[in-house]
Amino acid sequence: MNVLEVKNLYKSFGPIKAVDDVTFNVPQGSVFGLIGRNGAGKTTTLRMMMNIYTPDSGEILFHGKPIDNDFKKSVGYLPEERGLYKKMTVMDTLLFFADVKGKSGNEIKKKAIEYLEKFDLADRKTTKIQDLSKGNQQKIQFIATILHDPEFLVLDEPFSGLDPINTDLLRQIIIELRDKGKVIIFSTHLMDFAEKMCDYITMIEQGKIILDGKLSELKTKYAKRNVSINYSGDISFLKGNPMIESIDDFGNTTGIRLKEASQIQGLLKLLVDNKVNIKKFDANDISLHEIFVLLAEQNAGKEVQNV
Amino acid sequence: MFNKRMLSILKRELKDKILSRTFIVMTLLVPMFMIIIMALPTYLMTVDKDESFNITVISEDNSLTDKLKDEIDKIESVKLGKSKVDFLIRDENGLNEYIEENKKDILNEKITGVVYLPKKSAEDKVLRFYSKNPNNKNVFDKLRNSLNQVLTDNYFTGKNLSKDDIKYARTNVLFETFRISKDEMIKAESKGNRIISFLLTFLLYFSLIFMGTMVMRSVVEEKNNRIVEVILSSVNSHDLMIGKILGSAITGLLQMSIWMTPLILLISTSIFIIPEEFALQIDMSLILYFLFNFFVGLITFLGLFATVGSIFDNDQDAQSGIWPIMMLIMIPFFIAIAIQQNPNNSIGNIASMFPFASIIVMPAKMTLIDVPLWQILFSVAVNLATMFGIFSLAGKVYRVGILSTGKKPKWSEVIKWLRYKY
Repeated sequence: MNVLEVKNLYKSFGPIKAVDDVTFNVPQGSVFGLIGRNGAGKTTTLRMMMNIYTPDSGEILFHGKPIDNDFKKSVGYLPEERGLYKKMTVMDTLLFFADVKGKSGNEIKKKAIEYLEKFDLADRKTTKIQDLSKGNQQKIQFIATILHDPEFLVLDEPFSGLDPINTDLLRQIIIELRDKGKVIIFSTHLMDFAEKMCDYITMIEQGKIILDGKLSELKTKYAKRNVSINYSGDISFLKGNPMIESIDDFGNTTGIRLKEASQIQGLLKLLVDNKVNIKKFDANDISLHEIFVLLAEQNAGKEVQNV
Repeated sequence: MFNKRMLSILKRELKDKILSRTFIVMTLLVPMFMIIIMALPTYLMTVDKDESFNITVISEDNSLTDKLKDEIDKIESVKLGKSKVDFLIRDENGLNEYIEENKKDILNEKITGVVYLPKKSAEDKVLRFYSKNPNNKNVFDKLRNSLNQVLTDNYFTGKNLSKDDIKYARTNVLFETFRISKDEMIKAESKGNRIISFLLTFLLYFSLIFMGTMVMRSVVEEKNNRIVEVILSSVNSHDLMIGKILGSAITGLLQMSIWMTPLILLISTSIFIIPEEFALQIDMSLILYFLFNFFVGLITFLGLFATVGSIFDNDQDAQSGIWPIMMLIMIPFFIAIAIQQNPNNSIGNIASMFPFASIIVMPAKMTLIDVPLWQILFSVAVNLATMFGIFSLAGKVYRVGILSTGKKPKWSEVIKWLRYKY
């Protein structure tokens, strides 16, 4: 069942079409990734979903009803550009953010303390934000995002600027919330994270959706001519081979794209014949990164043809 | 217009502003500053009055000396022995010699000055004063009356005039001033209302700029800090702006009311005793009007300041972009000061009912003269209309401005923002 439906959204700023006919659905209990390059239209889409921008046309339905200001109460939003009031204390900050979401009182205070304890910040309740380290400020920002117990979590580039410890912490929170049945939407240009965490993916490029669906299904669809291998030895002889369309070296693994799906056995034989020591040979596997690059290139090609 | 989210913003703003050090310091410092400013001239005048002098009066013959001695001995500081006046009979050459001999004493001000009465002065009253500091008005003022009296008396003596005639000739014209108001008896006018008019004008001017700059900075800070988008995910930009401005305006009103308490106590109780010539002809309704007018004006101008704050993303750019709004405060301020000379001049009359200017000029005018009720009501209507007009314009710029960062926008772009559907 779809909790959130985004239908035919358009948004222009002057001559720039930031979002151009965007449609997607977010199913219940999923981690949903909105991926794309910087400037592709992710933030504008999220801002429309948060009712910060009004779309030029199109609509956003939450449980089948158009969103309004009350919808904001059930959302926790962590924008890419984020900040806190520097001169407020930690506790005042948390209570203020809960208050604007319509939650106040002892219940919330107790919960704030619980979260602070969980994040090792229980002794900093009365510290001013400006006196906290950057990492601790980020923790306060997460707590402020989830303190009012949102049904929906919208995270815009959540991992940008985080140190490794906070990255893990945030990942853990996302998983915990998903297990509680919350819906999590995040946008990122980091394919690695998206691939590891998302159940559903929508890819946006120049304001248009170019890919949309369940991650596992998308992978199967795009992986037919793809093989990923782990090996030791030299595979430079493959370059120029008529079977091969492209080779992407990711360090540990190498992705090879063939011209025909039927050539997979031929590739394996070729590698064995050339005494390459194969540790892993995974047919029909493609990384999200490869899909992204592939589609971005195709899209760019189409642009050229259109011109 | 009011909802819970906006109240949350308002609450935070109030707490943030009222508990801030700047607010507390300003609330206490401004009245102290005002007292110092008002007390300083009075204090300086009393210091001046106490100044002692040592004058030598040289005349060409002794016909006036005795009378002069009698008159000068009546001067307070001479009577008390603080100041000294010597009399010499010399001609012009003798005068020059005297000055030459005593140059050292004159230069180090042991001798404040030398007054020379040539023979001709009995006819034309032209005297000479030699001093290191010949423009010292204080000494003049003290000696002038005595000298004038003696010379006048001398001139008319033997001319068959009565003492009364001479007295009449001696006195200058004196204005006694009266204030005419519609519903009260004619009363002797005092300087008190002019001081209050100046004070109210100054407080308005100061507080509008002070609160305005504070709001502008806090908008720039929110934008610069990127906190604004977090807040916008809970509150829409309209609620954010209104909450912010109302919070600050209430803070400003509170501060102004604190500043008004001495004045309220002055007119409603007898705790303070003020000299007759400074007596005030104002009542509580003026103070209430002043506070109401201030609140409306504050909301209007805070709307403008917040808008400018939202356009720029750093303090420096915002400071340089604020000048059109500063003009809207400064020009009326100068008009309000100018009408103290003539409260009924036509610029003052127009300004007191003109958008923006009315906020500053009308209270000053009301303190000085009786303003017809229709003018007051008209000015209130103009101010309220301006306030609502500014709000709808400001809201449109604000909602675009707070989310646009990076390049400093041109004014033409800002005008385009008004048409954006956001």
